[in-house]
Parts: sequence; structure tokens; C-alpha cells
Amino acid sequence: MSDTPFRFNFSAMGSPCELLICADSRAKAELAAEAGVAEVKRIEHKYSRYRPDSLVSAINARAGSGEWSEFDNETAWLLNFADTLYSNSEGLFDITSGVLRRVWNFDKALIPSLAALEAVLPLIAWSRVEIKNKAIRLPEAGMEIDFGGFGKEYAADSAAVALQKKGIAHGYVNLGGDIRVIGPQPGDSSPWKMAIQDPRQRDEIVATIPVFQGGLATSGDYEKYFEHDGRRYCHVMNPKTGVPVSYWQSVSIVAPLAIVAGSCSTITMLMEEKGGDWMKKSGFSYLGISNDGNRVSS
Amino acid sequence: MGLAGRAILAAALSMPILETARAETVPESAVISYKYLDYQESQLGEDRIGVKARAWSVLLPFAGDWSVQATYTKDAVSGASPRFWSKAAASMRDNREAKDISVTRYFSHDTLTIGASLSDENDYRSEGFSFAGTHSTEDKNTTFNYGFAVTNDDISSNGLQENKRKVDWALGITQILTSKDIVQLTVTDVQGKGYFTDPYKLFDLRPDSRHQNTAQVRWNHFIEGSDATLRLSYRYYTDSWSIKAHTLGVEYVQPLPGGWVLTPSLRVHDQSAAEFYVNPADFPWTATYSSLDQRLSAFGARTYGFKVSKTFDANWTVDVKYEKYLQRSGWRLFGQGSPDIDPFDAKMFQLGVSYRF
Repeated sequence: MSDTPFRFNFSAMGSPCELLICADSRAKAELAAEAGVAEVKRIEHKYSRYRPDSLVSAINARAGSGEWSEFDNETAWLLNFADTLYSNSEGLFDITSGVLRRVWNFDKALIPSLAALEAVLPLIAWSRVEIKNKAIRLPEAGMEIDFGGFGKEYAADSAAVALQKKGIAHGYVNLGGDIRVIGPQPGDSSPWKMAIQDPRQRDEIVATIPVFQGGLATSGDYEKYFEHDGRRYCHVMNPKTGVPVSYWQSVSIVAPLAIVAGSCSTITMLMEEKGGDWMKKSGFSYLGISNDGNRVSS
Repeated sequence: MGLAGRAILAAALSMPILETARAETVPESAVISYKYLDYQESQLGEDRIGVKARAWSVLLPFAGDWSVQATYTKDAVSGASPRFWSKAAASMRDNREAKDISVTRYFSHDTLTIGASLSDENDYRSEGFSFAGTHSTEDKNTTFNYGFAVTNDDISSNGLQENKRKVDWALGITQILTSKDIVQLTVTDVQGKGYFTDPYKLFDLRPDSRHQNTAQVRWNHFIEGSDATLRLSYRYYTDSWSIKAHTLGVEYVQPLPGGWVLTPSLRVHDQSAAEFYVNPADFPWTATYSSLDQRLSAFGARTYGFKVSKTFDANWTVDVKYEKYLQRSGWRLFGQGSPDIDPFDAKMFQLGVSYRF
């Protein structure tokens, strides 16, 4: 029996999401989809900073109180991963940098005052976060952590594993453009052709990247931004200066896991002009479009 | 590969949740659930046996490849037995406590489960042990299941000291047929020896062995467009007491936006009488065995059900189910019903709450 692709759309983590599941029956695809969606929702529920009952909200609420928040194995791993990103990005990937959202208001398109920026910058300090015996505490009131920098990619990987556990070998998980391919197209085993959006023309495609399996993620300056005096301010911000990065329009990376692809594309964005070299040295496939429209790719 | 890329990939690959897929799925989250059941029989407008039961159960995955499930049930039975002729049996009241536990190990294509159960009431104690397994083919389209159970019941009532043992076998196969259809065939064999007589019933004396067989076919059909599933089932039952029964079931499962699921259902049952079932009007009867238990009579029955369930937050599920059971001698599909039996009804209300974490 040959596998047929079944598509399931849902929304989670503030993005349109899609599961493409190849199975020999609708019933089997349904079962798998249910497990995949449940896994995405589980992670969203557990780690969303927008949910007051999430683990992340609980940790943040205790910032500066001296109280410890205990965490489980999964969270331990995510914190360890965050630490690896921090130490391999010269401190640019910092999961405490979410405080910048307080001063950069993308809806009102306002550039914060220097004083406002200087007030929040000291709160960005992953190196000051205390972790011991599966408990964490943020030393200063107002500090916060969030896994937004790789949560969606992590969910894509986990959902892919959930689908595999249901016997799915072909298909992919796409959470708002963060993609994890489980296996190539059934039949001829050809790769899935993933479209990369043009960072300046929403409905145009700038490239299609063939992916047999693994993760594909794109970071760009076009997801959330505003323009002021001819300059674009995007949501990816340097945690040391508190100012949005501007060198790359978009960076796409293909790596064995979506979480790796996503973190590496974000680090490249954060490294600005040095990102090209960093990306090349990472060893993964990439496509970067710099602010003058030039493309670099592996 | 550069140092940074390698370090990030190594850190990512150490994540336990991203391990290569395991074929047989261990439950990924623990589930705690509570069920409340209220069952009430009635005949000619009078309440007969009523059961109120509460059950707490927990399912816990552990050590990667294992899960354990445990249930504690407490029920209270009250009321009078169904009437025969026109007299009601003495009223009764009893409390029962039941506990069962099972442990499952998950392998790449197989699961194995062992379980134990214990049920206690003041005049009846039941102990059981079970073993069951499943095996799936490489493509997961076909799953075989098998089960074996032994039960030992001790009955002590009004100076009576009796015992009953049962050995239970089950074999089944589930096949994914098409993109929308799954079928399952299951056969069971139960050999029982010992005391089957109901000590609470007048003129009840039953053979000391019972051999029961069932064959059941189930067919689930997914309806595209409405996203609903139609579940059809047919069960054939036969036993060494000469009861032959057919049960046809239809369920329509309709998921709706917002986590709602509506499930109307209908079950139609037809059975012939046990060879020693006696018509009360034929008194006095002379055969060795006799019973006036109307569950052993020839009748037709219909069960109408409706279930509503709602999932909140993806973690909480609440369901409410109501069933109405109507049993009539005149509703047989094949053959004659037993005479002189008043219509017998029952209603069942069930509330369930489960939380996954």
C-alpha cells in the first residue's frame, strides 16, 4: 500500500500550523495528527510566557523574591540548551532578553528613550541566573526568562517524534515556518520542497529549499517590525545594546533538528555582519539575504 | 562542522524527548480520572436494583517503557431484585470495594500487560489475575491482541460457603482497511466452574459449570466532511446453558469546535432463554435446575444512549453519559419471548472527569 499525504491545519503558539502526514489510511493519519497537535499544545501550555499558569510565568513571577522554582527534566534540558546557545554566541542568544519587549512597542512604532533602555539592560543577564539541584531563581525583580527563541522549533521536533511514534515515516511538521521534516515524500523518496518567503514581498518566494529530513527554520526582520526615519526596527534585538539588529533581512538554515536550525538562524541574525562567517563555520546549509538584498548560501 | 554548530547540535541531540521513535507508544502523560455512575432498574414504575458507583483511576508512565494503571471502585447496591411473577424479593443493601492494578511494558512491536484485581463485599470476594499482549506488524496496519485471565470468587451468604472459578481467553485482530475504515474481530472463551446460583433468588438452582463464547466484529468508519466517526458492532454470544444472543450497536461520534464531542448511540439485543429458565406460571416445575432470573429469559432489548464530552485546555476532559435500557419479552427479533414478564427498564447516568499532566 502506498502512503497518501493528509494535511491537518491548526493554530498554536500564535502561528498557523500544519501537519503533513503520509499514511495509508485517513484513520491512521488522524490518530497521528491528534498526537502531534497534543504535543504542540502541551509544550505551548507548559512554557508559554503568555499563560499565567505556565512554568515560565511561575519562575518569572518569583524574580527577586529569593524563592526557588523547581523544574523537571524537560525544563532542565531546555535550560541547558539555552546555556549552550549563550556560550556559543558570545552571549548574544540570551533567554533573559525578553524584557526588551517592555520598552520596544511594535504596535505604537516608538523608539524607546535611552534612559528607558538603560533601565532594562541590567535585567538581561543569563550569567546571573542561578540554577542548582533542579531549581532556578532570577536574582533581580523584573528579570524574566522565556523559551520563545526556540520554543516553536522545539515543539516542531517533539511533534515530529510524536508522529513517528504513531508509525509515520513521511511528512513534516510546520509551525509558522519552523519546519521539521520526518522523512521524504513517499514513493520516489524525493525531498519536500520548502518555500522561503521573500523578506520584502510577502507573497513572493525567494527560493525553494529541498529537505529530505531534519529541520528548516528562518529568522527574519519582517515578522514583526516598524519603520522610523527610513530605518527598519525588527523584533530580533541585541541583548547588549537593546537595539534591533539590521544586517540580515532573513536567514534560513537546514540542520538535523528544527531547534538547531532555528537557534543557528537567530544567532546569525544577532551576529550581524559576522553572522555570515559564523553560519559558514556552523557546517549547516544556509541561505542568508543581507540588508542590501545580496544572497549568500552554502 | 564548526565548533559552535557542533556544540549546539550535540546539546540538542541529548534531549530525551527527541529520541528516535519507539513503535509501541508509552502513554506520554499521566492521567487521573474520576467516574460517578448511577444505575437504577425499574419495573412497573417501581425501583428495583440501584447501583451508585464511584471510581478513581490513575495511569502513570514510568521508566520510559512502562506504565502502571490502577483503579479503585466503591459502589453501593440497594433495592429489590427484579420482580418475578408479581412479588418483589426481599430488599437488600450492600457495599462493594474493588481494586485493580496492571503494569504494561512497551516494546518495539509489542506490549505486555499483567494485572491483578480484588473485589470485596460482605458476602462475596473475587480475586483475579490477568495477562494480555498486543503485537503489531511492521507497517502498523495489523494488530493482534490476546488475553488470559483467571478469577476466583468466594461466596459466603447465610451460612453458605461456595466457590466459583473462571478461566478467560480472548483473541483479536485489528486491521486498518482503507483510509477511512478500521475493523476488529475478537473472540472470547470463558470456562466457569462452581457455584453460579444466586443465593438471593427464590427457586434459583443453576448448573455448576458454564462455558461462554463470544465473537464480535467492530467497524469504525470515518466520514469525511463532517469529521465524524460511525462505529458499528455486532456480537454473537452462546453458552452451555443454551442462551444464544445477538447484539448490534451503532454509535455516531461527532466532534465539534471547542473540544466538544457528541455521541448518540443505539444498541439492540436479542436473546433466547437458558434451558433451565422457568416460566413462573408453570409452577411447580420439576427439572433439576431452575431459575426465574429474567436475565436468563428470552427477550429483546434496546439501549438508547447519549454522551457529551468536552475537553478544556487540552488537559481536562469532562463527559456526561445517559443511557436508557428497555427490555421486553415481545421485542425478540428471532423467536418467542418468555411469557409473563413485566417490562423491565433501567437508566444509567455517568459523569466522568479526567486530567492529564
